[in-house]
Amino acid sequence: MKKRMLVAALAAMTVALTACGSSGGTQTSGSSASAGSSPDDGQQQVELRMMWWGDQTRADLTNKALELFEQKHPNIKVVGEFAPSDGYFDKLNTQLASGTAPDVFFLGGNVVDYANKGVLLDLDPYVGKELKLDDMDTTMVQYGTINGKLVHISAGANARGIVINKTMFEKAGVEVPQDGWNWDDYARISKEISDKLGKGYYGTYNFTTDGMDIYLKQNGKQLYDMKNGKLGFEEADILPWFQYWDNTSKAGGVVTPELQVSNPPTDASKSLIIKGKVAMTLLPSNMLASFQSLTQDELTMVQVPRGPKGTGVVFESSQGLSGYAKTEHPKEVAELMNFWINDPDAVKILGNNRGVPVTAAGRQTLEADASAADKIVYDFTSRVSEANKKEPFAISYNPPGNAEFIKLSDNTVQLIGFGKESVEQAVSDFYKGTLKILQSNQ
Amino acid sequence: MRTSRRPPIHTHNRTAYAFLLPWLIGFFCLTLGPMLGSLYLSLTKYNLLRSPQWIGFANFKQIFTDDATFTHSLKLTFTYVLLSVPLRLVFALLVALALNKGIRALGIYRTVYYIPSLLGGSVAISIVWRQIFDSEGIVNAFLGWFGIDGPAWIAHPDYLIYPIVTLSVWQFGSAMVIFLAGLKQIPADLYEASQVDGAGKIRQFFRISLPMLSPVLFFNLIMSIINSFQAFTPAYVIGDGHGGPLDASMFYTLYLYLKGFSYFDMGYASALAWIMLLIIAAFTGIVFATSRYWVFYGDSKEGR
Repeated sequence: MKKRMLVAALAAMTVALTACGSSGGTQTSGSSASAGSSPDDGQQQVELRMMWWGDQTRADLTNKALELFEQKHPNIKVVGEFAPSDGYFDKLNTQLASGTAPDVFFLGGNVVDYANKGVLLDLDPYVGKELKLDDMDTTMVQYGTINGKLVHISAGANARGIVINKTMFEKAGVEVPQDGWNWDDYARISKEISDKLGKGYYGTYNFTTDGMDIYLKQNGKQLYDMKNGKLGFEEADILPWFQYWDNTSKAGGVVTPELQVSNPPTDASKSLIIKGKVAMTLLPSNMLASFQSLTQDELTMVQVPRGPKGTGVVFESSQGLSGYAKTEHPKEVAELMNFWINDPDAVKILGNNRGVPVTAAGRQTLEADASAADKIVYDFTSRVSEANKKEPFAISYNPPGNAEFIKLSDNTVQLIGFGKESVEQAVSDFYKGTLKILQSNQ
Repeated sequence: MRTSRRPPIHTHNRTAYAFLLPWLIGFFCLTLGPMLGSLYLSLTKYNLLRSPQWIGFANFKQIFTDDATFTHSLKLTFTYVLLSVPLRLVFALLVALALNKGIRALGIYRTVYYIPSLLGGSVAISIVWRQIFDSEGIVNAFLGWFGIDGPAWIAHPDYLIYPIVTLSVWQFGSAMVIFLAGLKQIPADLYEASQVDGAGKIRQFFRISLPMLSPVLFFNLIMSIINSFQAFTPAYVIGDGHGGPLDASMFYTLYLYLKGFSYFDMGYASALAWIMLLIIAAFTGIVFATSRYWVFYGDSKEGR
């Protein structure tokens, strides 16, 4: 009987979190602020919480930058929290729901989701005072301005490209591809690598989900049409993309679905690119340096294979900082953001870990002592910028309900990969599911 | 007879309530409010960040008519319960029987076997489990000695349920300790008498141990069913955290969690939670209803 009630308790916990939420937020920050107040000088002690996602390398860099910030602002203490990218947004959502969200947190392409829900701090009142944006790229300022309000400060720019394990290419005796290749080349090279290196080695990861928006843009469509609030493609537009991956997989060029599950491509600690088992995959450019630091193999980056309209890749914000609308210390939040993008020492510490700096001064600071991997990234991103001048593409935000959409897409890929459903059937269900997700998130 | 018994029963009840008091306080002060709150939320559309909108029974309607993941997760959870509960209980009973043979250092064994029950639900153990059942993990290395090419237990949707069930069976400790206590309470003269009458060990087990243990078995069964329905951590950590691969770890609780906290649909999640409450209540009810046919209370025979 008692246990039965416990079940109910579990069920009710969902609500409990919300119930204690509204007051919880102010309580935590309130008590911590008073706990930190020391009477040594007139200035009031303030404690900020900051949350980001990423691996240990990123955490070390971030903590170091936060320490420096505390040195330069003795009245502000910053408590950092981080989570692996996998669980980060669940954690953030929970905290937002319960009103205990950190004062500052990182967001990616899903910033619109949060902006629309009204949980982000309006930064406009602080621009020009605590927060100086004169040196920041105007496109990046625009990116962070949603519904007419500045709510997001990009912490770095990147462009997705194909990371290449050069060492594997050399072993296989295959020539490293050049910008301007197409998807047929990609499939052919993948198969060649798999064939030449033998069992346990593969040409590429399957990036049906991550590359979907790129593919659609290459064909003059888009994932989500934000202006009209509807999907930017039809079922027939996306079917060939799933078919392409199915065919390439059947030819043997792609990692088996089991391996892809146990070694997800973007998890640096498990990636088979780093282990020298997979030669190519889609990767955001800011991750190249940390990938390179984990392997002896030589890595490089080339542009994504071209479709009819070009590469579909834009040099855009990789992630950035947003404030919590209910923060008690908005001014300090703005100060921290300002430090993040403008302070030369901070820029030096943080490097390209979250992308290329968004200020010209920041980029100059870093270029002075760039590592080999950094140089590859600069070279790559400048090639993408050049390509964008000739073939411009719109910046894309994630569709609403992105987490659910990613899950649906991954499921579809696995349904096909594990041979549970035909491509046509799976894609038809995928399209219906996507429409449903969009509908329920509007 | 009955009238003379009533006052003591009354005092019994009072004592029982006294012992229940801490839990009752917790229930009325902490649990009841949120529970009612979730009942309200289950009738709304609530995305966590905006105030809830009343939509009546639309969530329930969608769950029952238009939600393949719900059906799938329910099926998966039932499979898990039907596999893990009997296996765990049988295993616990066997170990309890072995430990009841009067071996030395019983205390140590009891502790050692009990530890998994304390650790089993933790994230750390789930991560260890991931490693053990990895396609290059210990289990497959072991199978390799016999020339068996083990599958990717964790990464293949058809096999993922087995590591999760194994983890549940491994946590047999608490059931085992209760069985052991039950075995110790069976009077030795019953065994002696049956031995004189020429009953073998197996017959003794089925005719004496099992019937005498049935109240304990009943308790363990109910606890295990309830616990198994609520399994979350193993599915969350051993799977990929999103119910994958291919929804093979999409247990009911995980689906509920994802709906609420990943997909911003707390109203829907609350509805799912209430359905789960009803399912568990129904199962417990069924076990209770059947109990009078198979549970034997040695001391209450005259009372019936």
